Amino acid sequence: MLDRLVRWSRIKSPWILHLNSGACNACDIEVVAALTPRFDVERFGVLLKATPRHADVIIGTGPVTRQIKDRIIRIYEQTPDPKFVIAVGACAMSGCVYRGAYNIMGGLDQVIPVNVYVPGCPARPDAILDGVVKLLGKL
Amino acid sequence: MKFTIPIGPQHPALKEPISLRMTVEGEVIRDADIRLGYNHRGLEKLAEEKTWIQNIYLTERICGICSHSHATCYVQGVEKLMEIAPPKRGNYIRYLVAELERIHSHLLWLGVAGHEAGFDTFFMYTWRDREVVMDILEMISGNRVHYAINTLGGVRRDLDEMQIKKSLEGMEILRKRSEYYFKIGASEPTFVARLAGVGYLSKEQAIDLCAVGPTARASGVPRDVRRDDPHAVYDEIPFDVCTADTCDVLGRVVVRVKELMESYKICEFLLKNLPAGDIAVKAPKRAKPNEFLSRYEAPRGENTHYIKSNGTDKPERLKVRAPTLANYPATVQMLKTGFIADIPLIFAAIDPCICCAERTVELVNARTGEKKIRRFSELRKLAEKRFNELPSKRNAVWPF
Amino acid sequence: MTDLEIMEKAKSLFGDKIVEMTNPAVRRIFIKVEPQNLVSVVAGLRKDLNITYVATISGLDLGEFFEILYHFGHDNGSLTVRTQIPRANPHIESICSVIPGAILYERELQDMFGLIVDHIPDPRPLVVPDDWPANNFPLRKDWKFERPAEIIPGGKK
Repeated sequence: MLDRLVRWSRIKSPWILHLNSGACNACDIEVVAALTPRFDVERFGVLLKATPRHADVIIGTGPVTRQIKDRIIRIYEQTPDPKFVIAVGACAMSGCVYRGAYNIMGGLDQVIPVNVYVPGCPARPDAILDGVVKLLGKL
Repeated sequence: MKFTIPIGPQHPALKEPISLRMTVEGEVIRDADIRLGYNHRGLEKLAEEKTWIQNIYLTERICGICSHSHATCYVQGVEKLMEIAPPKRGNYIRYLVAELERIHSHLLWLGVAGHEAGFDTFFMYTWRDREVVMDILEMISGNRVHYAINTLGGVRRDLDEMQIKKSLEGMEILRKRSEYYFKIGASEPTFVARLAGVGYLSKEQAIDLCAVGPTARASGVPRDVRRDDPHAVYDEIPFDVCTADTCDVLGRVVVRVKELMESYKICEFLLKNLPAGDIAVKAPKRAKPNEFLSRYEAPRGENTHYIKSNGTDKPERLKVRAPTLANYPATVQMLKTGFIADIPLIFAAIDPCICCAERTVELVNARTGEKKIRRFSELRKLAEKRFNELPSKRNAVWPF
Repeated sequence: MTDLEIMEKAKSLFGDKIVEMTNPAVRRIFIKVEPQNLVSVVAGLRKDLNITYVATISGLDLGEFFEILYHFGHDNGSLTVRTQIPRANPHIESICSVIPGAILYERELQDMFGLIVDHIPDPRPLVVPDDWPANNFPLRKDWKFERPAEIIPGGKK
């Protein structure tokens, strides 16, 4: 009974943290554009939080560079359980056009475990919303 | 007693990883240090292994907000290397998309500036208007960002009658809305008082530190590549270079607002006078050994690409210098005379596109030597608290 | 000032310090100087021709030599000063005493090519990460990168 209550509250208000690991910014602007009046993600209970300690879902963009790899692992460990990771954009999935460069690890899943992949270059705000909703549907 | 405080790579205000270390004494910043490297993707080495056409898509993805400016700067340079010239209609379409990108970038920046100053309604309004421009761009090119409309020798898609009509209607709507907002913003004394006097950069400092774009133009330095180096279409279009004299963040807002109005005029001129003809010429596969320096005015400043070829179908050297890198020394100078609570505003005022160059901020507490990572949201809360307690500057006037 | 006027004035100011001067396209002038005359030529450009804006500094790896190009911009185009230094002794003088805004470009040259800029005010590395092994200069032509094998989580290799 308590379990069902907890699960319901988790699905109804996921708080997200936006993590940029060296991206070109297009996916990040689309994540912020999801908050604006046209797409309006706040009607689903999603809130953009500032610190990893308050967040449930980490939205990561960008190919991971060598310099930021340790910081990402630290931020992932600072987020309290249960946590989920969404990789947005082709860069976070496999590196996009930067595959093979000397400073790139090659996708977010080389560093932290990922639950949902949202393709696109950049991924449209509707696609990002779709990814978040599909994640909530699996809970 | 001095402190050093770090503002770490992950923070909610700016959308990119950046690290700054600032030495503070009380509330006043004494010294600032910028650490680049979080966004370094090794593009210049990668560009030497791909052909001329593949590099168009690589340079587009240097930045998401000014993607067309990087691609156009590169394509301009390669066309000069190969000694081909695109036809007139192709040029008009290319620079029409460039001016639309300038409009979308300035509206984005106005929203971010409003958000950093605490004016969230302004943020929502300008981003709602930005959707009008994104719809026009999607109609012309097929994507909201990264419109791959450039190719060697011209553009890839053409405009037909219905698209021209819809774009002109969109310009009308945007112009009416922009004038309404700027009237409201000009007569809102708290907004103007918040921005006046923040982030001061004098004219001599702007010249010494090689600042570019609206950051330099707000200090009275009339530096604009569209007038200094008119290429293709800009010597036929009448437009003015916008400057301001106040040398602070308010001046930068004024310069960007004036540039928005100029861009509406330029877009309408291009749409109404579109000549008939082809949109592209065929480009050769190889380029003779040659070199060229290509300059272009991106929404943030001057974009410089230096391209060298050696007779094969891959470039020998591609050097990219984005405008935000040139504004870094000027930012350090501006931060030295400011308060902690003004950091988000000063930083947002140069319109940082950190993917063109990385940064992080770290504030080091000089008194005890302890390092504390302050989230940008904490800084913004400090900024709002200070804003509420600020004595209102009654003589701050919108210099329009 | 048009291209021809600038070229005349530069020739009269610097005389034999200029090894070669070309004008390959409209509003583009290229000047070649020796490395030891670099700072005096840049100071002369600033004082007499009022050219103070450094757009960027590029490096080229030509095998036996490194070529460094200083791109300046002015009201009617751009002017580039180039100089060559030998690979065995890659030292070049800093121009930050004349134009302070060139500091970041010189730091990037040090990182990417391994050149040593003398009298630079701030010699820290700029863009390479903290754990970058020393003596690895990515933009030299003989530096190759071996990509490590990737792990695909939950899939075959």
